[in-house]
Amino acid sequence: MSSLRSSLSLDRLGSVIAVLIGAALFASPFVIYRANRIVAGEGRMLADALPPSGSVGVMVLALAVAGCAALVRAPLIRLAAASIGLCAIFPAVGWSAGFITPPGNTFARVSPALGFWLLALAFALLAADALTRLRLSPWARLAALAVAAGAVALLLVSGAWNDLSLLKEYAGRADTFWREARQHLWLAFGSMAAACLVGLPLGILGHRVPRLRNAILQVLNVVQTVPSIALFGILIAPLGYLAAHVPLAAALGIRGIGAAPAFIALFLYSLLPVVANTVTGLRQVPAAVIDAARGMGLSARQRLWQVELPLAPPVILTGIRIVLVQNLGLATVAALIGGGGFGTFVFQGIGQTAIDLVLLGAIPTVALSFAAAIILDAIIDLTRRGSP
Amino acid sequence: MIEIEHLSKRYAETIVVDDVSLRMDEGTITVVVGTSGAGKSTLLRMINRLVEPSEGRVLIDGQDTMAIPEDQLRHRIGYVIQGYGLFPHRNVAENIATVPRLLGWDKRQIAARVDELLDLFQLDPAEFANKFPHELSGGQQQRVGVARALAAKPAVLLMDEPFGALDPVIRSKAQDDLVAIQRRLGTTVVLVTHDMNEAFQLGDRIAVMDQARLLQYATPAELLTRPAEAFVEQLVGTAERPFRLLSLLKVREAIEPGPAEGEPVSVTDTLRDALSRLIWTGREALPVADASGALVGRVSVKGIVAHGRSAP
Repeated sequence: MSSLRSSLSLDRLGSVIAVLIGAALFASPFVIYRANRIVAGEGRMLADALPPSGSVGVMVLALAVAGCAALVRAPLIRLAAASIGLCAIFPAVGWSAGFITPPGNTFARVSPALGFWLLALAFALLAADALTRLRLSPWARLAALAVAAGAVALLLVSGAWNDLSLLKEYAGRADTFWREARQHLWLAFGSMAAACLVGLPLGILGHRVPRLRNAILQVLNVVQTVPSIALFGILIAPLGYLAAHVPLAAALGIRGIGAAPAFIALFLYSLLPVVANTVTGLRQVPAAVIDAARGMGLSARQRLWQVELPLAPPVILTGIRIVLVQNLGLATVAALIGGGGFGTFVFQGIGQTAIDLVLLGAIPTVALSFAAAIILDAIIDLTRRGSP
Repeated sequence: MIEIEHLSKRYAETIVVDDVSLRMDEGTITVVVGTSGAGKSTLLRMINRLVEPSEGRVLIDGQDTMAIPEDQLRHRIGYVIQGYGLFPHRNVAENIATVPRLLGWDKRQIAARVDELLDLFQLDPAEFANKFPHELSGGQQQRVGVARALAAKPAVLLMDEPFGALDPVIRSKAQDDLVAIQRRLGTTVVLVTHDMNEAFQLGDRIAVMDQARLLQYATPAELLTRPAEAFVEQLVGTAERPFRLLSLLKVREAIEPGPAEGEPVSVTDTLRDALSRLIWTGREALPVADASGALVGRVSVKGIVAHGRSAP
């Protein structure tokens, strides 16, 4: 009896998810229909957004997931339910766009609305919760990420979303999109790599020379407090001067505005986490281990290479994770000074009040940060060898 | 042989070790004992120059340690500390191989030495060589720590509270093992502890330190019967003295001629153990057997008690 009662009792997070699903289905429009890309739109409830068989199907499925979230404890079943829910609503929103758009009308736009987003949020929460409870190994988490990425790629390639406003914004800008994507990745990863090249030796130096440590960290702390827009602005003057007076700098593409100040600003922001975590990583080696190493006659250099550095990666990688997630987001701001990246679409979209264009820039940015965080967390766990 | 001559260590105003002179003979165990803050760890760490002396010098086999580059000096001296400081990212075999690798031994030689040491410390190489420190029990970690210190066959082994982290049952076994291995290898051991029982159990000679000074350096029996200062007497524990004295002596030294009833005690048992048996069994005397089991006489309560007096 007791096991039956416990398996049927209400799950707290699950109940919240179930309420979210209810609100999404019965009180929020599933999609928004607009006559063209910038006018205000009108919401369509799920019942009007799909052919009757489709809307009933989605509704029954979503309610089943809600019930499962509220009542079932087994994480695997909860994960399966969340996945089925996501696999239903993502194609459904694309299908709905094709269903609502009047035939031959190329101006009309259909976008996901509150109801869709709430459902996606509810299912994603349920999946994330189940994944946490499953305590997956690092490799399993990477595999889960690959499956999710594959599913999204399949939706995009299959054309199931082609009638959605977001994809229509993309269709007109495919070339620019990929160019800005490359620029965005270059800004984020390039500045991170540069920060590692400079920051790791700087961190090691700070570890070996305690007096330098405080000076380095304090300077970097100050840099970190400068707002990004201000830092971009501050860099315009010296870089412009450099471009005007040093031919080599100009030949390398360094100008007061554009990618160069953005790259340098991101690099400067990246230094503190890299340096601070390198110092911390080297210092957190237990005192007994260092004492034993010294006592056995390992020189300072041997201690660094054989003991301190091999034990530091989890902490250093945590710094790199911070940098990468931060850079992928901050690189968006680079567009303001002509640095390119996904920010280009965000700011164009704001200028044109075309919200789907904003999303064309914002969604890939969020997805990249999310994926980077998962991948680096997995790598950090894999490097935590030798500790319980 | 280690000779410590007028060794002092000062940090600004505070003096941590004050003019200590000692001679530790080859192949013996010297225990440095004292309360915490007495300067015993600093004294130990000046032998392998983890702490540089302010004054005085240390000679090992007649050679001034200041004349040897410090890393080379430490390669020749085993070092074991309370937490052992095993490298968490290296397995047992790699940990033990640390100093031989620094010395550039060839691979086969290192592998053979690692197996030899694991056998010596009763750790099956097949099972333990590839384990990581966090997979070992406290007692196993301790043994790996000592094995690692002995890997390059040092003539001198320094140990700073090496049994401090072990529970009492394992500690007593580890102490016995250390003595057995030390006798076998002939290593000169200097061991620091605050545990008086440990000092009496292990030490061929005991150095008592208090407030940076060496108060007395003597054999355990001398320390009991002729304490140099009131502090030593107090540290030795006046109520415990006779029993400590008896635990230093073997039955062999108290044999009397004549028969006795009961289960025999061995000539190699301590007088303390024999007395304990006598009290427990309620007898006045017990027979004594030699290593082969042949009866060689008897040991009596009266005879044992005579050995526990201050002036023999």
